[in-house]
Amino acid sequence: MLNDIYLLKDLSILNAHLAQHYSVVRLAKDTDGEVTWTEQAGATSAPLFGHANLPLTSPKAFFFPEQESLYKFDGKTFETIHPKVKPIVLFGVQACDLTAIAYQDQFFKHDPYYQTRRDSVLLVGIDCEAPCKNGFCAEVNAGPHVNSATADLILSRLKIDDRTNTSEWLIVASSEKGVDSLRDLTLEKADEGHFKLRTKLGDQVRSQFADFSYISNAIEYLNDKSIPAQLWEELSVRCLSCSGCTNLCPTCSCYSTFEVIEAEPISNTLEFETVRCWDSCLFESFQREASDHNPSHKAAQRVERFWFHKFSDEYLPEFERHGCVGCGRCEQTCPGTIGVHSVMKRIDEVCCN
Amino acid sequence: MSQTQVNSICPFCGVGCGMGLVVNDGCINAVKPLSKHPISQGKLCAKGWNTPFGISKHNRITQPLMKKEGVFEVIGWQEALTYIAQNLQKCIRESGSQSVGVISSARATNEDNYAAQKFARAVLKTNNIDHCARICHSPSVVGLKQTLGSGAMTNSIDDVAKADVILIIGADSTENHAIIGGHIMQAKLRGAKLIVVDPRQTRLAQIADLHLQLNIGSNIALLNGLLNIIFQHNWQNDDFLARRCEGTDALKKHVADYPLDKVAELTGIEGQKLVEAAKLYSQANAAFLAYGIGITQFISGTNNVIAVSNLALVCGQIGREGTGVNPLRGQNNVQGACDMGSLPNVYPDYQSAADKKVREKFSHAWNTTVAQAPGLTSLGMSNQARNGKFRGLIICGEDPIVTDPDRNKVEASMRAMDLLVVVELFMTETAKMADIVLPAASFAEKDGTFTNCERRVQLIHKAIEPPGEAKADWQILSEIAKKMGLGGLMNWQTSEQIFDEMAQLTSSFSGMTYSLLAKKNGIQWPCNAEHPKGSRWLHTTTFPIGKGKLIPVDHVPTNEQPDAYYPFWFTTTRLHYHYGCGSMTRQSPLLERETPNGLLYIHPQDALDLGLKNHQAVTVSSRRGYLETRIVLSNELVPGLLSMPYHFKEAPSNMLTNDAMDPTTEMPELKVCAVNIVPLPKNQSPCPSSISTDIEDWVIQ
Amino acid sequence: MLQLTPQTIRIVDFYDDGTDSRHFTFEPIGFALESPIAIGQFFMLTVPSRGLAPFTYTSFPDEQGRFNALIRKVGKLTDQLFTCKKGDLLGYNGPYGNGWPLAEINQKEVLIVAGGCGLAPVTTAIDYLIDQGRANSVTLLYASRDQESQVLKQERERWQSKINVYETLDIQGDKDHSGLPTEHLSAVLNKVDHHPDILLTCGPEAMMSNVAKMCVDLGFKSTDIWMSIERRMRCGVGLCGHCYIGSTYACKQGPTYRYDEFLALEKANTVAHLYPQYFQYC
Ligand SMILES: Cc1cc2nc3c(=O)[nH]c(=O)nc-3n(C[C@H](O)[C@H](O)[C@H](O)COP(=O)(O)OP(=O)(O)OC[C@H]3O[C@@H](n4cnc5c(N)ncnc54)[C@H](O)[C@@H]3O)c2cc1C
Ligand code: SF4
Ligand code: FES
Repeated sequence: MLNDIYLLKDLSILNAHLAQHYSVVRLAKDTDGEVTWTEQAGATSAPLFGHANLPLTSPKAFFFPEQESLYKFDGKTFETIHPKVKPIVLFGVQACDLTAIAYQDQFFKHDPYYQTRRDSVLLVGIDCEAPCKNGFCAEVNAGPHVNSATADLILSRLKIDDRTNTSEWLIVASSEKGVDSLRDLTLEKADEGHFKLRTKLGDQVRSQFADFSYISNAIEYLNDKSIPAQLWEELSVRCLSCSGCTNLCPTCSCYSTFEVIEAEPISNTLEFETVRCWDSCLFESFQREASDHNPSHKAAQRVERFWFHKFSDEYLPEFERHGCVGCGRCEQTCPGTIGVHSVMKRIDEVCCN
Repeated sequence: MSQTQVNSICPFCGVGCGMGLVVNDGCINAVKPLSKHPISQGKLCAKGWNTPFGISKHNRITQPLMKKEGVFEVIGWQEALTYIAQNLQKCIRESGSQSVGVISSARATNEDNYAAQKFARAVLKTNNIDHCARICHSPSVVGLKQTLGSGAMTNSIDDVAKADVILIIGADSTENHAIIGGHIMQAKLRGAKLIVVDPRQTRLAQIADLHLQLNIGSNIALLNGLLNIIFQHNWQNDDFLARRCEGTDALKKHVADYPLDKVAELTGIEGQKLVEAAKLYSQANAAFLAYGIGITQFISGTNNVIAVSNLALVCGQIGREGTGVNPLRGQNNVQGACDMGSLPNVYPDYQSAADKKVREKFSHAWNTTVAQAPGLTSLGMSNQARNGKFRGLIICGEDPIVTDPDRNKVEASMRAMDLLVVVELFMTETAKMADIVLPAASFAEKDGTFTNCERRVQLIHKAIEPPGEAKADWQILSEIAKKMGLGGLMNWQTSEQIFDEMAQLTSSFSGMTYSLLAKKNGIQWPCNAEHPKGSRWLHTTTFPIGKGKLIPVDHVPTNEQPDAYYPFWFTTTRLHYHYGCGSMTRQSPLLERETPNGLLYIHPQDALDLGLKNHQAVTVSSRRGYLETRIVLSNELVPGLLSMPYHFKEAPSNMLTNDAMDPTTEMPELKVCAVNIVPLPKNQSPCPSSISTDIEDWVIQ
Repeated sequence: MLQLTPQTIRIVDFYDDGTDSRHFTFEPIGFALESPIAIGQFFMLTVPSRGLAPFTYTSFPDEQGRFNALIRKVGKLTDQLFTCKKGDLLGYNGPYGNGWPLAEINQKEVLIVAGGCGLAPVTTAIDYLIDQGRANSVTLLYASRDQESQVLKQERERWQSKINVYETLDIQGDKDHSGLPTEHLSAVLNKVDHHPDILLTCGPEAMMSNVAKMCVDLGFKSTDIWMSIERRMRCGVGLCGHCYIGSTYACKQGPTYRYDEFLALEKANTVAHLYPQYFQYC
């Protein structure tokens, strides 16, 4: 590992280098102040940090798009519709989202569409320098610093020189793909001291997080099954089944399929295209069967299911972590105020007594 | 994969949430909530999230169609426009301007609506211009105009957060205005007291401090009763009444006729609860009152609105932060369509069409002579059509066949017309009846503005090209005007030019420009020299009509009541997942899947009494019509009351609803009628009522 | 990598087999159904324009790869399927899921309780045991609403002389046959010579759970009770998430579950009936 750490003052050098081989996608703020993942070819400014500008949407859709054509049937045979991809570098992804991508890499390990898209992406992580508004990555072991198993390159700002308005960046090439991506770029080697400094900075940020022990407590209650049904009922009255939480959750992956019928004017035949689209386990009809039997017909069951899926220890053998990566997006997007903080607080409150 | 995001406004309801349209290779496959939007703050409801399906290019109408021998054929724009222009001119020549008209859309932009009313008044020379506010909030416009001087929400959505009491009457806001519903739930969590007045146990009623589950149609009795309690306990705001209102004594005397026991009897609510509610509302520091079509869709709709306004005025719960009389408007731009004068009686900014000065002002500004005679409402047009006196209609983006009351009559009217032009995204039930169908551009395919229910004018932006040959409504109307030889009247190149023309001719919008709107995330009208930054609150110091008017109104029974033949009360509702006639939301496989297996909601006790099982197939009939569907047991209802969402063409609740009208506004009594319910024979599935069941039927030759 | 794109199959033949039910024979086109199909596995059938849904094999593929499936018409996809003609082309993915426990049933006396269409997933199990010469060890209790809705007539006739078959009808029949399967279970067990010690069950979930409970009371070990659970499925390969049961996916870890494991999975979440019926918020 220590072989592949470097120092760089001007990140735009790295940006420009990567731009030779990849389309560079970075966080950008539009005129309304919205932060989105945007293709920026010749960006020279320092990347936006997630801790100050966490985009409402994680990069999930780059690998698992909201809608994706799977295959089509021309009346005779089914033909796979391969995703069109080009090499992309996601430049400056914060730890929580990287953790989520690693989680989904595991979940979609055998999904050809996901993997085709995923293979074409180089992940450049960035260490957060402060807690973000709703985030609690430190509580669920997903940040604030990038876990090297989750990125190809990691950027960590070690020093800011206010006088010259420059900073010194530590660059860690943490995967083979990352090492490859730096080839032909001459960089100053960093040493163990730099690496230690990074660790120290990480510990500092960690210590700045508010007390989220209610989340850890609630996770325990969830797993020892001591949450009264009544509580789920109370929370679920506020679930409007909008699907916002599952759409924004960087580890949610449920989908549905639908058919698009296209008339082929020349041969005068119909073509059927099967498309998959994001679905949500909070919809009443998510599990409803043709016979009308519905194993999760109560909103309370579905709300409980969502949190089970995020925090149950039963998923540890497969993923070695919980599904929640602590980004806190569900808290912001939930119209009914039953995002992660509200729910975990309420569980802690109720179960504590 | 090159991807961009264009920020816009949700095209569904009047909340007006911010929405980023994600454009990928010329298609919108996703939307994102906007975290910085002042109302939605990163949230969307299920409809909002499913927007991409609603505007996907599949199933869209992309070319002008003309019906020839019962089948639609693709024709060119020129042919279509010429046909329309010639036939409109023929009607006008033979039967006068009163025989033609336009129905505009509460879903279209302000610019489209401005163009529509101008087209009617200046090109067709008729005031026959209307839109669906007729059937949702026309009583608000008229009622509040009388009492307060303005028919819009007096306060802002954000005020929910500032109120310590929230009173919701006849609005299922978590389902219909989900994001406002969310604000209300949040306020309740913060400690605000929530009072819900609704015959059904809505989601908000479930979490409310007080749920006044009144007998359907007893709103005035309830409101007068509350007023009486307030006067009796001296809970009224004397200072406010003295300074700001007139008619206090007459009102006080009038409501004395509503003693507690009488009101308890009429409304079915215990007296104690009424007193509690009266106290909470009147004694609050700031009480936010919102109401929905559970107030307006009655024959007493206008009076219901007046009664609501009386309550707020007497308690002085208006003109301050956290208070107000707040009608929750249905469609994304129903506020704007009214503001723009898509109504027979008013020009933009509610300038009266009956006022000669106003007509002269517009004649002068438009350099023509505008229509002089009073106009017809949509129901008026429909009635006159059956008399043969109304012959040519252009409908832009509405589906009256599904959404208007008494469908059979509406259908007959449309058949009777010589020319029916429908400008639409999809082949709706109404479009299927048209002579000509013109392809419209969706909200994502044009620029313009929407005005949400808190009077916030917000910009929408063109994100993609319209499919095929589709165009914006205003462009289509301009082209027809040109074909009629009056192109000079509507010679705009951009929607911004329309907006600027409109702003010049109004007061409330005179301070607005596109660039200001862009800078400020929308501006709430009035925005003019007096209020350069727009207006979060109306009536802070005075009412546009001087003093607020307290007008005594009386309880009237609903037009129809259960009897031996039709023993059940019947009301209509909406579902969170669907919108209007479902033409957009039902394109989403997810929302379509959410459609319940049955559409008729019934209390378990009634089902038991009738020997019906959940999801059993039944027929429902009223004096006007008949339909088949399945039942769903629901504890939200009281025994004796059935309810049905109105989105579904397979079982259109408007087959049943009553078209008896509010005398002032012609608002039909959609919220209540009497029905009978009979089980279908075993093993028989409900038969859908739609005109033709599948899109395949209209496949173009 | 998984293959989500279906392969093409042709409808070779079908005949009506019970109320709203048809027995179809399909034939693979341009591919061979190689992997031996385990008893109780299922495949995803794609009906162009209507999407895909899971169905079980009611026969093992023959030399040409032809196989059968019994399908009941219940909704959009099956409605469309029932308008298809012989020769029409459909899509196929499979075989998927875990079938019945071979090792166990090879050694034990087998009781099968099936309800309605739930007979389909046990068909191959019965045929397998007959092929193994163990017909004597098989007892089938088949429950249906009424005579018309009984499915797999030819199969049942074929089995009649080989295994113990008991049929019940919810709302018809004489005293020995009328009523729910649970009402007949003990009687059936008393009649058979070899007392069964393993249960395979498939049918409505409520039926399976009652039958399972009863069998536990009658001395079956819960590790010897196996049920095939129906869930909505959109992929069949553990990706779409629809078929979840606790932390498993019925399409991957199921649809066949061992009773004790199923109970444990269900218990991870509050079971529906434990929720209060009417809920008052404050
Ligand atoms: C493992 C397994 C094996 C099965 N084997 C058989 C069998 O052998 N014979 C038989 O008749 N039935 C079987 N079923 C049930 C059968 O899958 C459903 O009856 C069928 O999916 C109904 O589809 P529909 O489109 O007609 O219904 P609709 O309600 O119209 O369904 C609408 C859509 O939902 C999907 N859908 C609905 N219900 C289900 C469901 N239960 N599972 C998956 N997708 C669904 C369909 O893809 C369809 O496109 C089995 C189910 C499972 C889980
Ligand atoms: S609440 Fe209304 S405006 Fe907001 S997302 Fe839902 S439909 Fe759109
Ligand atoms: S069917 Fe998709 S996960 Fe099981």
